[in-house]
Amino acid sequence: MDPAPAPVQNDCESESSSVWSWWPSWCPTSMSLLKTTESKILACVKNDLWARFVTLPNQDRIWTLSLTNKRTPKSAEQAPKTPLVMVHGFGGGVGLWIRNLDALSRSRTVYTFDLLGFGRSSRPNFPSDAAKAEEQFVNSIEQWRQGVGLDNMILLGHSLGGYLATSYAIQHPSRVSHLILVDPWGFPERPKPDSQQSQGDGAEVVKRPSPPRWIKAIAAVVSLFNPLAVIRAAGPWGPGLVNRFRPDFKRKFEDLFDDDTMTQYIYHCNAQTPSGEVGFRAMTETLGWAKRPMLQRVHLLPPSMPVTMLYGARSWVESSSGDRAAEIRGKAHTRVLLIKEASHHVYADQPDDFNRVVENICKSVD
Amino acid sequence: MFPLDSPWNISFAGCGFLGIYHVGVASCLLEQAPFLVQNARHIYGASAGALTATALVTGVCLGDAGASIIEVAKEARKRFLGPMHPSFNLVKIVRHVLRRTLPADSHHRAHGRLGISLTRVADGENVLVSHFNNKEELVQACVCSAYIPVYCGLIPPTLQGVRYVDGGISDNLPQYELKNTITVSPFSGESDICPRDTSTNIHELRFTNTSIQFTLTNLYRVSRALFPPDPMVMKAMCKQGYKDALCFLKRNGLLNYTGPQTDRPLLGKKEENKAYDEGRDEKNSEAEAEDKPQMEAKVMLHASSSLDEHIIEYLPPAVHKALLEACMERRSLVQSLGSLLPVRMASAMMLPYTLPLESALSLTLRLLEWLPDVQEDVGWIREQMLKILKRILHQASRNFSQHVSARLFCHLELHHYRSLPSRASSTSLFPTWMNSSGSTVQDVFDWYKNRLMSGVLCIDMDLQGSFKTGVMPSDKSRVASFFQQDFAERKGYFNNSQSGKPAKPLSRSKSFW
Repeated sequence: MDPAPAPVQNDCESESSSVWSWWPSWCPTSMSLLKTTESKILACVKNDLWARFVTLPNQDRIWTLSLTNKRTPKSAEQAPKTPLVMVHGFGGGVGLWIRNLDALSRSRTVYTFDLLGFGRSSRPNFPSDAAKAEEQFVNSIEQWRQGVGLDNMILLGHSLGGYLATSYAIQHPSRVSHLILVDPWGFPERPKPDSQQSQGDGAEVVKRPSPPRWIKAIAAVVSLFNPLAVIRAAGPWGPGLVNRFRPDFKRKFEDLFDDDTMTQYIYHCNAQTPSGEVGFRAMTETLGWAKRPMLQRVHLLPPSMPVTMLYGARSWVESSSGDRAAEIRGKAHTRVLLIKEASHHVYADQPDDFNRVVENICKSVD
Repeated sequence: MFPLDSPWNISFAGCGFLGIYHVGVASCLLEQAPFLVQNARHIYGASAGALTATALVTGVCLGDAGASIIEVAKEARKRFLGPMHPSFNLVKIVRHVLRRTLPADSHHRAHGRLGISLTRVADGENVLVSHFNNKEELVQACVCSAYIPVYCGLIPPTLQGVRYVDGGISDNLPQYELKNTITVSPFSGESDICPRDTSTNIHELRFTNTSIQFTLTNLYRVSRALFPPDPMVMKAMCKQGYKDALCFLKRNGLLNYTGPQTDRPLLGKKEENKAYDEGRDEKNSEAEAEDKPQMEAKVMLHASSSLDEHIIEYLPPAVHKALLEACMERRSLVQSLGSLLPVRMASAMMLPYTLPLESALSLTLRLLEWLPDVQEDVGWIREQMLKILKRILHQASRNFSQHVSARLFCHLELHHYRSLPSRASSTSLFPTWMNSSGSTVQDVFDWYKNRLMSGVLCIDMDLQGSFKTGVMPSDKSRVASFFQQDFAERKGYFNNSQSGKPAKPLSRSKSFW
C-alpha cells in the first residue's frame, strides 16, 4: 500500500474558482486548513495508513482512510478477515477516531471515511425530503463500498452514522456481517402528547405546563437555520466559539494533543459550506427527532444479522431505545451494552473499553 | 457500579433558582444512600449549587433549605418586575437566610470538605475555597458564589479581603473532570444526575463545564434560572431532582432498596456505616461479574423501574412538608384583592409613578445598609478606576509609540530615497563629487559616514511624530532595534554605544536636509 502522502496532491483542486475567490472569507477556514489540521491528527497513527479519495460514479469524492497492521504478514493462504468500517457522527470526521484506529486495526483492516457532505468529502446539494436525503447518504455508502471493493464488512456507526448504518444494513443486508451502533441517533419515535401523559408521572406533567409561547417561537426561528449556522455566522470568532462551548473535545484528546488541534478540526469540518448538515436537517423534525425513526424499521433488519448497540452511561442518548430495538427484533441476536463513565462520544471518552468491546465483537465474526 | 473504593466527590452545578432541584437530589442521596454523602471526600458547588453543598455538609435540614429557596422565589415574584425590582435585595435575603439556618459550628463541619467555586474579580480566575475561619466567612463565601454581577448588584462582595463574584462565570461545575465526581445539574445533558429529556437533539453546549443539551425544556429552565417560576413548578423540580438521583443510584447499583421508608432518621450515623459496608459488598459482587457488569446494571434498571412509581411520590416527609408549606399562599384579604384583574391593571398603569418612588425608597434603604462598608468599597472603586485608567493610558501610549515608530520608519525610508533627487538641488550641502552623475546611494551614505562619524544617529524629535533622520545604512538593523525601545529612551539624543560620542545636536541634523 502506498504511504499517505502519495494521493494527497489531487485533493485541493478547484476549491474556489469563483469571481469572489480574492475576497477574504468571513470564516477563517478552508479545505486546505482542514487538511493540515487533519494531517496533524493522523500523524499519531502508528499502523500503515492509506488515505485517498474514492470517487463515486456521480463524481462525488469520499475521503477514505484504510489502516492495516504493519506486522501482520500478508499471508496468502489465510483468508483476509472481514474489515471493520467506521462511520462518524454528525459534524465529525475521520479524525475523531484517532484513539481507536490503531487498536482496532491490529488484527484486521479498518476503513473509515468522511460521510458525504461532511469533513473532506464532497459537499453536494441534498434534497429536502427526509427519505430522499437518507437515500442519498445510503447510496453514497454503497457506492463507496463498490469503489473500495469490499464484499462484506463489520459496520460501525456513531450517532448519525449509526442511523445511516442501520438504514444501509436494511437495504444491503448481505454486505453487513455485524452491525455495531454506538449511541445511535434517530431511533426513538417522538412521543405523542397523550402517550406522554400516561407514561410520565404527575410531576412531569405539572413541571411542564407546556413551555411558554416565546420559547416555541424561538425554536421555530432556530429551526429555519442549518444546525451549525452559528459557527459560520460567527466568522472569525467561530474557532473561539467552539473552544468556549465544546471544551470537552479538547479534554477528551488531551493526552494526544495539548493544543487546540481537536477543536480546530471540529471547527474546520463544520465551517465549510453546509451540505451534510442540510441532509441531516431534512431528516429531522424540530428538536432533533428523526422524521423516520429507526425503531419503526428495525424489524426490517434480517434476523440473522447480529446487532450490538453500545451506549455511553452518561450520554443523553437513551439506551432504552436499544432495549426497545432488542424487544422488536425478538429472538434475533441483539445485544445492548453500556460503557461506564462515557458520554455521547463513547469512543473518545473510554477508548480502552470501547476498543476492547469492538475487538471482541470483531473476533466473534471471524 | 460507581467505584467506591477510591475517594469520590459530589459537585453541584450553579443554576440560580433551579437550586431547588439540588435540594431534591440531596434529599434523595441522604435518604437512599447516606454513605455516599457522608463519606464523600469533597462536596463542591457553584452559585446555587454552593448553597445546597453547604446545606449537605453542615447537616442543615434540607426541607428548610428548599423552603427558603421557594420563599425567596416567592419574594422575587411578588413584584411587578420580578427580581429586577429595585426593592428586591437578593444578597441581603440570602445572607439573612444563611445566618438563620446554618448551625454555629458549621464552619468546622465545612472545613476541608466543602469546596465553593468563586471567580476572582481581579483576574477572572476560578478559586475553590474550602477553608473557613468562622461561620460568617462561610456565609460570605456562599454569598460571593451566588453574586451574579449586575443582577445582584454592582460592587462585588469581599471574602478574606479579596473581591469575588459568581463561581458559575469561571467554573460552573467544579472538579467535573475527576473520574470520581458525581456531577449534579438541573439542565439535561451529560451530567451524572440530571433530568433526562426525551429528546434526541444532537446539539450540546458546555457553559463553563456544565453540559447543556439544546432542548426546549432546557431553554425554559435557563430562562427560569434567574426569573423564578411558580412555587408549584419549583416543587415539581425538586421532585424531579429526587427522581433523577434515584435513577442514578439504581443505575450504579448504589441503592439498597427496602421499600419507601418514612421513619429513617436522615443522618443516622450507624445506618450510614452499615449502608456503606453494604455498598462495598455490592461492589465486590459486581466486580466478580467482570465481563458484563453493564448488562447487570441494565437488568436491574428494568426490574426496579416498576417500583419507581411508588417511590417517586414520596419526597422525604420532612422535605415534602416544608415545601408544601412554602408553596402555600397565605392569602390575606389585601392580597386576594390585589390579585383581582382591575387592581392589577391599575397597579401596572401606576407603575411609572410608583416605580421611581419605590426605587428612591429602596435606594435610600440600601445606602443606609451600605454605610458600614462605604469606606472599603469606595476605596476599591477608586482602585479599580485607577487601574482602568492606568491600563488605558498604557494602551494609548503603546499605540502611540507604535504609531510614531512606524511613521519614523516611513520617514526614514522616504528620506533614504528622497536623497537621490534632492542631491541635484542641494549642491551647496554636498561635496562636489556628489554632483557627478555616476554617484550611487552608497556614495551618499559613505559620505554621511565620514561626515557623521560611524554609527551616529540623529533624530529630530518632535512629539507630533514627524521625525527627520539621517542614518547609516550599515546600521539599519540596529536602528530598527532602537525604534523598538521604549519611547522615553528616544526622547533624548541617542548616544552611540560604539563610539560613545554624543549625537549631533538637533539643529545640526536638521541642517542636513
